[in-house]
Amino acid sequence: MAEEKFLTRREFITAVAAIGGSIAAAVALSDFDTLTNLIDDELAIELPKIEKEGANHLGDSRFKWGMLIDLKKCIGCQYCVYACQAVNDVSDDMRWNVYFPEMTAETNVPFHMTRPCLHCNDAPCTAVCPTKATFRRNDGLIVMDYELCIGCRYCQVACPYDVRRFNWEERTEPSGYQAEWGHAEVPRRPRGVAEKCTFCVHRIDRGMAQGLIPGIDRAATPACVNICPVEARVFGNLNDPESPISKAIRERPTFRLREDLGTEPNVYYVPPEGMSL
Amino acid sequence: MTTMINTLRRDVEAKPLFYGWLIFLGLLLLFGAIAGISVLLNGLVVTNLTNQVPWGLWITVDLSAIALGAGAFSLSTVAYIFRVKSFEGIARMAVFVGFVGYTAAMLALLMDIGRPDRFWHPTVYWNIHSVLWEITMCVVFYSMILVFELSPAVLESNIVSRRFKRGPQLAHLMHRFTPLVSIFGLGLSLLHQSSLGATYGVLAARPIWFKPSMPVMFILSAVAAGGTFTLGLTVFYENIIRKRQITWRLRSQIAAFAGILMLAYLYLKMWDFLATFYYSHLPARVNANALLQSTTPYGVTFWWMEVILGALVPAVILMTPRFRSKDSLLIIAAVLAILGIIVNRWNVTLSGLVVPMDWSPGVAELFPVHRYTPAWTEWGVAIGVLGYALLMFTLGLKFLPLFPHSHSAHAEEAES
Repeated sequence: MAEEKFLTRREFITAVAAIGGSIAAAVALSDFDTLTNLIDDELAIELPKIEKEGANHLGDSRFKWGMLIDLKKCIGCQYCVYACQAVNDVSDDMRWNVYFPEMTAETNVPFHMTRPCLHCNDAPCTAVCPTKATFRRNDGLIVMDYELCIGCRYCQVACPYDVRRFNWEERTEPSGYQAEWGHAEVPRRPRGVAEKCTFCVHRIDRGMAQGLIPGIDRAATPACVNICPVEARVFGNLNDPESPISKAIRERPTFRLREDLGTEPNVYYVPPEGMSL
Repeated sequence: MTTMINTLRRDVEAKPLFYGWLIFLGLLLLFGAIAGISVLLNGLVVTNLTNQVPWGLWITVDLSAIALGAGAFSLSTVAYIFRVKSFEGIARMAVFVGFVGYTAAMLALLMDIGRPDRFWHPTVYWNIHSVLWEITMCVVFYSMILVFELSPAVLESNIVSRRFKRGPQLAHLMHRFTPLVSIFGLGLSLLHQSSLGATYGVLAARPIWFKPSMPVMFILSAVAAGGTFTLGLTVFYENIIRKRQITWRLRSQIAAFAGILMLAYLYLKMWDFLATFYYSHLPARVNANALLQSTTPYGVTFWWMEVILGALVPAVILMTPRFRSKDSLLIIAAVLAILGIIVNRWNVTLSGLVVPMDWSPGVAELFPVHRYTPAWTEWGVAIGVLGYALLMFTLGLKFLPLFPHSHSAHAEEAES
């Protein structure tokens, strides 16, 4: 009978690889702000009350908010998912910003996929809503007036990207991510209405009222962008050629999800390793 | 009201079968009420609907009930706009069936939306781009037309005319406006009956739904099945009271009318199938269809329930004089047409939803086919709505003069 080893060869190799990988990741992360600093910055954000907020605010057409997600950089830590859930008070089963492991076609290279709302120029959800509860602001944001929603869920049926979420029940518990990942900055939505990612519209509106620049000043930037430890997400004004996002789109190759549908998303993706455009 | 209850009591005492029927209806309504209260108290979390399959059994009930009510506008159109006099003999019954169908649909819809307290919002907060907004507006106005068209029957009924002596006079006055009102009814129905199909047909993200045939197939199937249902119910009623209510000629005319539309529906359905499945090699459609065939009974139910039993067999019965003159066959045709409509509306809704949308740039098998079977609450509400419709039919046929010309029909029969 073979002697029982403390570690089999396979286990040993796995352990060495895991430890090595962790050290490599830690070294890579040390180039950037440490996570505690990022979270401290998030928690320190103070948002003043402004007269018109969110859905009641129609936005300024001089701006057009967009996001770039660099799939080459993303390490799959899911901090963007958690920060979003904390700030927007979203439960696990209704995540506005989702993560899942993916693989490229043909080359079969694993990569990390995340998806907020794409804030389409021609958003199917706004076209089908019978009450204009979901509508497009002048600055391109697709937002909701929860007071108008009747809960028909046609937006869920129409959205090509599975972005829309519905409040199937009254939620009494906080999302579970508060304090560690950020404060709940918007009220919880009532039972029976739909909801969606807003690009943290409350931060944009309140920040702009203070003279801050979304995408540059943290207090005016979506939580998922701030929290990203590898700066895979870039946010800003697509109408301004000098904004960080416009520069990034010029410099890197990008694509958008299902361009064949003609929805014209305002979220741009940098392809991962192994994917050619 | 008391006269109504007295009549019912007399009938219940005299006919045990009717007594049993009322108890059966009571049980359906009780089950519906329990399920409905559970939904209103707990929210839609007690259903099996999800963020990926947000529409299910209740939408099927809405769509089927509205389709089966389509006899109201189509038969009224033949009677009052095309001026085929004989069709006036079925117009009231058709309007009544439509009224029951539309109110049943509204009942199910009220349970289905997350905020029933805001059901009126689309009438005030307009989004003119939304087909669902257009449907809501049309259904609201069309329901008013149905109430108007049904009012003469209510005013002439014994219960009302006994207390409100001028009832029949007012009914006569209202009846004079019927042709004008029918025109609006026709317009509104053409719009919303087809828009219910467009609800699915306009969604570019769903390869199975996105096609211009969707609204046309909806309205053709609705008019065919709605007419068949109205006729079948009439013949069934004739057998219960053992007295003919419509002439043989009218019966043949309605059967032929519904049969021709059923064939038109099948004709379009054939070309739709050939164009979108058989000859189409669009990857999105091919993949979606393969997924459906391998994971759901879609293929079997499509051919057997929607096409053969639900449309072809009824069409043959309706179009063949020898078959349609037999009461039993005509009732079978109506039952099959009802099943055909229900299965079609279910298949259309679920086939589009259970196939996951492919929006991720990768190829990992992340999105399995979504599963959906209705929860007991959903069945409960559906059964309760059915109970409501059956109760309305029972009371309406008992107390409303829905076949005002039946005496002359008999005279005509006797002559020929």
